Amino acid sequence: MSERILPGLQLEKVDDRIMTLNVGPQHPGSGHMRIILKVDGDYIVHCDPDPGYVHRGEEKMAEYRNYITNIPHLERPVIHDSCNILYPYCLGVEELLGLEVPERAKYLRVIAAELNRCVYTQYWLGIYGIFLGHSTMFMWPVGDRELFIDLLEKMTGARVTHSYFVPGGIRNDVPPNFEDVCLRHVNYFEKRIKEYADVFYDNPILISRTKDTGILSREDAIKLGTTGSVLRASGVDFDIRKKEPYDVYEEMDFDTNVLKEGDSYARSKIPWLDMFQSCRIIRDALQKMPKSGSVRVKLKPNPRGGDTEVYRRVESGRGTLGMHIVSKGKPQPYRLKMSVGSFRNLIAMPHLLTGEKLGNLPPVYWSLNYWPVEADR
Amino acid sequence: MSVIAPKFRLGYLLKGIIDNALWILVIATLIAIPAIQIILIYIDLPVIDGILWDPFRTLDAITHPERALPLVKAFMQTDLFKVVAFPGFGFAALIAAAVIFVERKMLAKLQLRVGPFYCGKVEGILQLMADGLKLISKEIIIPAKADKPIFWAAPVLFAATAAAFVALIPVAPGWVVADIDLGLLAVFAVIGFFPIITILSAWSANSKFPFIGGIRALYQMVSFEIPLILSVLGIVLLTGTLDLVDIIESQANFPWIIFMPIGAIVFFICILAELERIPFDLPEAESEIVAGWLTEFSGMMYGLVQLGSYLKLYAFAALFVVLFLGGWNGPLIVPTFPAEIINEGIVLMPDALVIKDIPGLPLFSQEMINGTVWFLLKTVGVIFFILLPRGVFPRVRIDLLLHIGWYKLIILAFVNIFIALGLVYGGIIGPGGIL
Amino acid sequence: MSSTNNTEIEKIEDTSLVSDTEKSLSDSISKKFPNVQITYVNPNRIRVNVKREEIIDVASFIRDELHFDHAESVSGVDYPEDNQVEVVYHLGSYTDPSLSKQILALATRTPREDIPHPGNDNTKLPSLYDVFPSVSFHERECFEMLGVYFEGNPDNRRLLLPEDWADIPPLRKDFAIKGR
Repeated sequence: MSERILPGLQLEKVDDRIMTLNVGPQHPGSGHMRIILKVDGDYIVHCDPDPGYVHRGEEKMAEYRNYITNIPHLERPVIHDSCNILYPYCLGVEELLGLEVPERAKYLRVIAAELNRCVYTQYWLGIYGIFLGHSTMFMWPVGDRELFIDLLEKMTGARVTHSYFVPGGIRNDVPPNFEDVCLRHVNYFEKRIKEYADVFYDNPILISRTKDTGILSREDAIKLGTTGSVLRASGVDFDIRKKEPYDVYEEMDFDTNVLKEGDSYARSKIPWLDMFQSCRIIRDALQKMPKSGSVRVKLKPNPRGGDTEVYRRVESGRGTLGMHIVSKGKPQPYRLKMSVGSFRNLIAMPHLLTGEKLGNLPPVYWSLNYWPVEADR
Repeated sequence: MSVIAPKFRLGYLLKGIIDNALWILVIATLIAIPAIQIILIYIDLPVIDGILWDPFRTLDAITHPERALPLVKAFMQTDLFKVVAFPGFGFAALIAAAVIFVERKMLAKLQLRVGPFYCGKVEGILQLMADGLKLISKEIIIPAKADKPIFWAAPVLFAATAAAFVALIPVAPGWVVADIDLGLLAVFAVIGFFPIITILSAWSANSKFPFIGGIRALYQMVSFEIPLILSVLGIVLLTGTLDLVDIIESQANFPWIIFMPIGAIVFFICILAELERIPFDLPEAESEIVAGWLTEFSGMMYGLVQLGSYLKLYAFAALFVVLFLGGWNGPLIVPTFPAEIINEGIVLMPDALVIKDIPGLPLFSQEMINGTVWFLLKTVGVIFFILLPRGVFPRVRIDLLLHIGWYKLIILAFVNIFIALGLVYGGIIGPGGIL
Repeated sequence: MSSTNNTEIEKIEDTSLVSDTEKSLSDSISKKFPNVQITYVNPNRIRVNVKREEIIDVASFIRDELHFDHAESVSGVDYPEDNQVEVVYHLGSYTDPSLSKQILALATRTPREDIPHPGNDNTKLPSLYDVFPSVSFHERECFEMLGVYFEGNPDNRRLLLPEDWADIPPLRKDFAIKGR
């Protein structure tokens, strides 16, 4: 190809009345993506999300690494929710290789996944506060999440990107007095997040800014294929932990939170309500866990799968995370596709933002539980 | 300043000292003393307490400090002192600096963190100085297509208008920089300048985000000025005067907030909106429009704008105290000046050195100190309530803001006016009233 | 799609865990469309191989009669030894509680060129956008990553790649990462 073709550029006509705003990557209110908005006064007439600024080619690189070396690579899309991303991968590879996970490992996996979910949700809640201009709503969640990051550091050795799950179990066992420390942290955490109701969710200014904005009806939520808290805030009761339970979630006692309004307020409240359920699950799992046992299945070096494909899915902090692995009898996967919750919720963004006021952009956009790094992979 | 210090040599030190001494001597004899002689030919010597104060008395006062007090007192009555030190710029700047520090610390404690901690031994006291030095040392960047004269002038105008506002507030009996008969009207005239300066600085920056921020600031300030003025109309009806000093004196027995609580609340909310503080800080809404109309200011221009902001904060809080809380009135809590010092002098060592006859004591009268103390206490209380919403509320959206300003607050202000009219015609307060 | 495919997916031998739901789903599809090939019927996972001419009819049948209402993911797999690109749609159901565990994988293949001109060669597939609107962004990504043009998708533009990307679509096997 001797001549240079740039097929991705687009030309636009400049209009008198409609102003094109780049809520771009260098903007305190956009995260790592660009939203191209066409604004008429205060109303958004056209919204075009432009992700891809953090695209690293995870799926392509996964084809060059074998099943064990893929682990630190695949957890990078969401660094503090890394256990939930590795979960469908480990489940899928275990199905491919025919491995049986020990009981104690299953419970510890559940605990680690729920801790990660709380850590992610607190960070997301903090950034929601920043977008609305509420600095206390940033400081409190980010400060309280340090409790769980400490716990995860005791469990796995790292604060974020834990590399804790391996096909066949988990990488190492927990330190001896872990159960007591964990229980204390969880109890204190639950007391702290109960106080969020006064300052955040009953705050009249927050309610007036987020209620009845960006309403996603139930039919639209199903038709557009949204997932996670966006779906549950619109009235659809769907949580993979209940519908297709994996590991020991069938034995855990928890509820699914569903709200009917479908506006930004409901979408911002569901992850907070889910955190209470996570605390229940962790306490339950700590009680029911077998006190000793192995946590890992010994693998042969360079394990190979047969000529099959698997598709496993898991409920992560953003929604359903599905992993489609095609293997062809080599130590590397032939194709690995991650279907992440953020990418599936991206389609709701132009649908909701067209016709909204410009001042409603932060509450609606961030309430979609959108993590830009994960959507780009 | 990262030069490596040279090795110390005594000869160089002595050479440096003699050099400086020589230059001081030369300049003093050839320039300074002849200049003073020439000036003294043309200006009149001051007459203080009936005594002509010539240069010999000044030199005498330097060696015997107990005789310098009348000079100091006369100096404090001049306009220069009032503008620069108390109750003008120096006082207000000190309070502004203290407010910035207290705000950061208080906000930090609310948010379960510590705040400034490392600068200065005691809880980060010197943080403000460090920030000021940093701002001074930064490069001032002007956008290429900006309107340069207006862009340079805007922060200076902002700080100057805030200083003009500070000048109208009386702090203690007899201590006000500008004693105007129509003080309240002058205050509103000065407040009316702020939207103009905001929109000028936003327009001259020639960029999209300051433009949006400036328009929002204009909407906000204009729509909240009307309830601000209307809520004070009640006080004017009850006291019958626009002079701020008279309003304070009319509150000698009770503050006006008892009779005008609705007016006080409306005024307080309008203060928050005029100061662009959370929950009304749309013009600087960081997550939507970067920094609003302040986006393009860097270095000392930003420092000037911040200084103006905090001067405005002090001035508005002081205005609230003057109008609603009674200004400097309050029970006497300051003890009287000990009478034996006036009569017998200060005893430095028992039976040895007694300095008698210090003219000009007491330096400040008791009512002045008492008034200043009460004024400061009340202002600090109001400032605390202005700083508190920053930790508790998020930001309001623009259309909700305008809804509050144009509908709810104007209606409440009118209700307040009717209450005031009712009180006057009912014969309770005002000329010929019971109280 | 050739029937003597050496890159076909194997069946899992143990069918004891397969419940009636999967059997009834696969039976109803193969009864209505005799040309499709049911690759495997596993616990909670069924895979159906369809030719590209029939895919819209099969997808409409799956949406209307079998009550699957959204697509969870759309993944493209490159098979250079067959000169074909395979696109697999994983369909799920939110509204039907009996189907909440099931994922139906709908697979179709399209021929592949050695020198791709994305959008202008015959690597084309009909888009399922009118049947399942949830596939729109997934199909855009598949277009830019593998060069498969989806006819009927209202928006076939770049999504994740930068605007000045002038190389072949990156997920093809010909595209080698530098340094490996």
